[in-house]
Amino acid sequence: MAIAAIPHDAHGEVDQLYVETRELRLQGFLLFLISDCVLFSSFIFAYLYLRNTGQGWPPPGIARLDVAFAAWNSVVLFGSGATMHYALENWKHGNFMKYMWMLIATIILGAMFLGGQGYEYHHLIFDEKVTWAGSGIFGASFFTLTGMHGFHVFMGVCYLTVLLLQTAAGTYTYQKYFGITAGTLYWHFVDVIWVVLFSIFYLL
Amino acid sequence: MVEQKAQATSLGRGFWIATAVMAVAAVAGAIYWVYAPIESWVPSIILTAHQVDVFFRFLAAVGTAIYVFVVGYIVYFTIVFGAKKTDPPDAIGVQIHDNHKLEFWWTFFPTLLVVIIAIVSYLIWAEIILKPASGVVVEAIGHQFNFTFRYPQINGEVTDEIHLPVNVPVTLNLTSSDVIHSFWVPAMRLKNDTIPGMVTAIKFTPYRTGRYPIICAQFCGTLHSTMNKQVLVVEDEASFNAWYHGMQLKNAHVSNALPSTSGTIALTGGDAAAGQALFSQKCSACHALGPFDQKIVGPGLRGVLHDPKHPTLVDGDPATPENAAKILQQGFTGPMGTMPNATTNGLSDKDIANVVAYLNSLK
Amino acid sequence: MSVAAAHSGGIADHIHPEPQGFVRRYVFSIDHKIIGIQYLITGFVFMMLAGLLAETIRTQLLNASGGFVSPDTYNEVYSVHGSAMVWLVIIPIATGGFGNLVFPLMIGARDVAFPWLNMLSFWIFPVSGLMLFSSFLMGAPAAGWTEYPPVSLQGAPGTTMWCAAIFLVGVSSTLTGINFLVTILKMRAPGMTFTRMPLFVWGQFATAPLLMIATTALAAALAALFMERVFGVPFYDPTKGGSPVLWQHMFWFYSHPAVYIMILPLFGIISEVLPTFSRKPIFGYKLIAFSSMAIALLGFMVWAHHMFTSGLAPFLQVLFMVMTFTIAVPTGVKIFSWIATLWGGKIHYSTAMLFALGFLALFTFGGITGVFLAAVPTDLDLHGTYFVVGHFHYVLVGGSLMGVFAGMYYWFAKMSGRLLNETLGKVHFWLFFVGFNMTFLPMHWLGFMGMPRWVATYDPQFQFWNRFESVGSYIMTLGILCFFINVIYSIRAGKKAGPNPWNARTLEWQIPSPPNYYNFKHIPTVYGLPYDFSQPLPYTGLEDELTDSPPAQLTGAHH
Repeated sequence: MAIAAIPHDAHGEVDQLYVETRELRLQGFLLFLISDCVLFSSFIFAYLYLRNTGQGWPPPGIARLDVAFAAWNSVVLFGSGATMHYALENWKHGNFMKYMWMLIATIILGAMFLGGQGYEYHHLIFDEKVTWAGSGIFGASFFTLTGMHGFHVFMGVCYLTVLLLQTAAGTYTYQKYFGITAGTLYWHFVDVIWVVLFSIFYLL
Repeated sequence: MVEQKAQATSLGRGFWIATAVMAVAAVAGAIYWVYAPIESWVPSIILTAHQVDVFFRFLAAVGTAIYVFVVGYIVYFTIVFGAKKTDPPDAIGVQIHDNHKLEFWWTFFPTLLVVIIAIVSYLIWAEIILKPASGVVVEAIGHQFNFTFRYPQINGEVTDEIHLPVNVPVTLNLTSSDVIHSFWVPAMRLKNDTIPGMVTAIKFTPYRTGRYPIICAQFCGTLHSTMNKQVLVVEDEASFNAWYHGMQLKNAHVSNALPSTSGTIALTGGDAAAGQALFSQKCSACHALGPFDQKIVGPGLRGVLHDPKHPTLVDGDPATPENAAKILQQGFTGPMGTMPNATTNGLSDKDIANVVAYLNSLK
Repeated sequence: MSVAAAHSGGIADHIHPEPQGFVRRYVFSIDHKIIGIQYLITGFVFMMLAGLLAETIRTQLLNASGGFVSPDTYNEVYSVHGSAMVWLVIIPIATGGFGNLVFPLMIGARDVAFPWLNMLSFWIFPVSGLMLFSSFLMGAPAAGWTEYPPVSLQGAPGTTMWCAAIFLVGVSSTLTGINFLVTILKMRAPGMTFTRMPLFVWGQFATAPLLMIATTALAAALAALFMERVFGVPFYDPTKGGSPVLWQHMFWFYSHPAVYIMILPLFGIISEVLPTFSRKPIFGYKLIAFSSMAIALLGFMVWAHHMFTSGLAPFLQVLFMVMTFTIAVPTGVKIFSWIATLWGGKIHYSTAMLFALGFLALFTFGGITGVFLAAVPTDLDLHGTYFVVGHFHYVLVGGSLMGVFAGMYYWFAKMSGRLLNETLGKVHFWLFFVGFNMTFLPMHWLGFMGMPRWVATYDPQFQFWNRFESVGSYIMTLGILCFFINVIYSIRAGKKAGPNPWNARTLEWQIPSPPNYYNFKHIPTVYGLPYDFSQPLPYTGLEDELTDSPPAQLTGAHH
């Protein structure tokens, strides 16, 4: 993790306490993401296991998922990953307004992804009659995994909104901005998980 | 600080004497396991059971020998190197940090032992698991709380006892109608789970006649511990054939199709006496012949169709013979518990009519 | 981390304000030592409750026909007994308890990396414990601590509560794992390289990733069971396309590493107690440290050895069998190293040492019987029988719990400033040791002869040994009562310990007992391993620790 500037305290000395605390937080946050990743992996294992015990996939009576729509929705999410990346880069370079716009774009794209997912759920549940509890292992694994991911995106959107308000209120400085770093890491993590979920549900 | 210089340089005579004593004990322990009367504890009735016993003896002998040394050295060192009253309070032991040669060997030998054990167990495993399917094929189905068995030319299901001819290979296909059970015959040194939605197989050749208990070794519900009453009977070919033909004749009238869980049941002409026999066989594990509130798994059923305090059955329908028959036929799963359906119970329409007649006769 | 860093106003120099008032000091404390004690107290309270359940089990089994409690109640009792002993007693005591209490002191830190998170981890734990025990009010889980579906899908409403409780305690474990890992990686005192860390720290270091990763996998399994029970989402129910074996994979992927969560920290305790009371360096430091890591890693690759009878594909049976055998090597190496540590020592027969020696003897026995269960041929006979019950009680009671008691007799002085009574301690040890063997040794042959586990009634031919076991368990309980009496008595009237009653050499013994809330007045610098009894202590910067002077930061003398 590149660190743009060395934080100083009020007396102009290096703020060693902050530097060390930030290192701890960064490491703790990465470990949290690893264990979150294990949570997803376990459900993915469950999905693949169930998929291989049944007779073919999708199970009889259930149509294949609509790849095209999900692909467009994925593009939206990956786009938000890019905007979040630029948001952090701009913050590191002190471009406040560009950072704000990028962050807002990220939040909007994230919300659009959620909307897209809502639309897809609506279509599945009401048009295809595929439900969480009523459609066997297909409904169980699909809605659980994508729902979990959607919940992560939702939490991310909430967090980024808080971040937006915090930056507007001046919580972060160009030296001390761990909240923004953490938000970016989290957002990229959610993106990566989606790559896996998209591959195993829509492409496999 | 005072070091124990004397012992720092050599292991000492006491060490070797103790080691010799341990070696004798270890060998004695190992020999015990080689000759231990394992088969008088539990008879062994299939060929692979004998091999498992040999392997068991081997593991027990090696394990005992190792354990004798481990405990022997712990006790010996603890006694010999105990701090004495005469020692100054700051006396310390020999300051040795490690010994690479020693560490190498005590890593090497366990590794070697592990490799040997792995090879031996692989060979025996292959005998047990990889044999081709052949001989008599029997199905065992786990239920809460008994096993039933199906034979190729016997209609219906065989309960109580499973009979097998001696010296004939058997393939036993296992599945379950409700939860996971485990079909275990200690005398075969073999068990396998019966898993709903899955068929697994065990293959073996019994070589000793006799009656051996079948035990469920996987928790399967309230009365799991009573699921040990059934018996595996191994007998000579003549007795087996006699039993087999007897069962064929007895079950000739039974349709081999599983009882249906739908369709109307004619309740007229139900035989309460036959129903009583069925009740004790199929129902009494979960239902007492007592008042409604005397619950085992399900409610007590004495007078269930005539109890003014309980005008409805557990599913909320009025307590009529027709509704009782419906529960027996279709079962249910829900907040009030689980009642197996007719397919699971193996109750034919006629059986259900008999059971209902019996229940109706109880006031 | 350089020596200079300690003087530059970083974390090492930073002292939190002293907590004020009873609540901040002892209830919602962020001090790792207080949190450690909270874990220990809560863990021991749950141990008493789960112990009562154990005695209910043994009392029921006095008679072949049972009769003490109904079969349903009996099933609930042993299910909650197992769940509580694993998740509410041994794991929290070994990690949250001793881990919190000791290892930050051992690495020369002022606290763990995230003290507030630590407090949160702790407070989740009693809540989930109460949830688990309260499930008795609504029909407790009754399918054993493993709760295999489909039978657990049929279970009483308390099974859902069980899922939630274990999920929560898992969250607590995960957070603790993250916290400990960061602390060990980042907050060691200057000079404390990995090869100078005390072995207890190595034990925690090997355990933390298991807590972090394996527990999360269990969380997924539990969440799925919860969803299936509450919303009917089919994961495990075969009639709806699910697979009951899936649960077994997910459950054991956690629960086998959990065995190492329950033993690696105790290996650490043994590795501290043995050198201290033998007045001798631990033999083969590097091999012991390395083998802990090897065990932690291998622990992830052996889970399906619990499933040899569950229709596992043949090649997987062989693979998991061989992987499991390999664990015998690092474990054996540890045991040999500990025994070699005794050789040539000046052994002091303190209670802590007795428990450590008892640990060696009993754990080794459990390890050897484990080989019978790892080998498929014998496992197909012994799986699901009392042999298994005997085996894992040797590992988890003869091993883990013996280690817990060793740790208590060793560190009680540090946490309370007073020593536990040694005479009562030895009575405790011998009652416990004898009672333990009486209880669990006969289980091995009962299992072999045909007694399955989890039964409320059994074949009358086994009655004699079952009664023998029950008597043994009552003796064991007397031993544990001695321990509780000892703790209560010694807190008030025990002999004053002073900073270092055992003449031990790790860092926690170089500061007052109990330590100040900031641990060290000045973070020491470390120059070597703590186990070299012929050398002066390998630390500098500890000169002021036993004086009355406050640390420089608090007097304003700093800067």
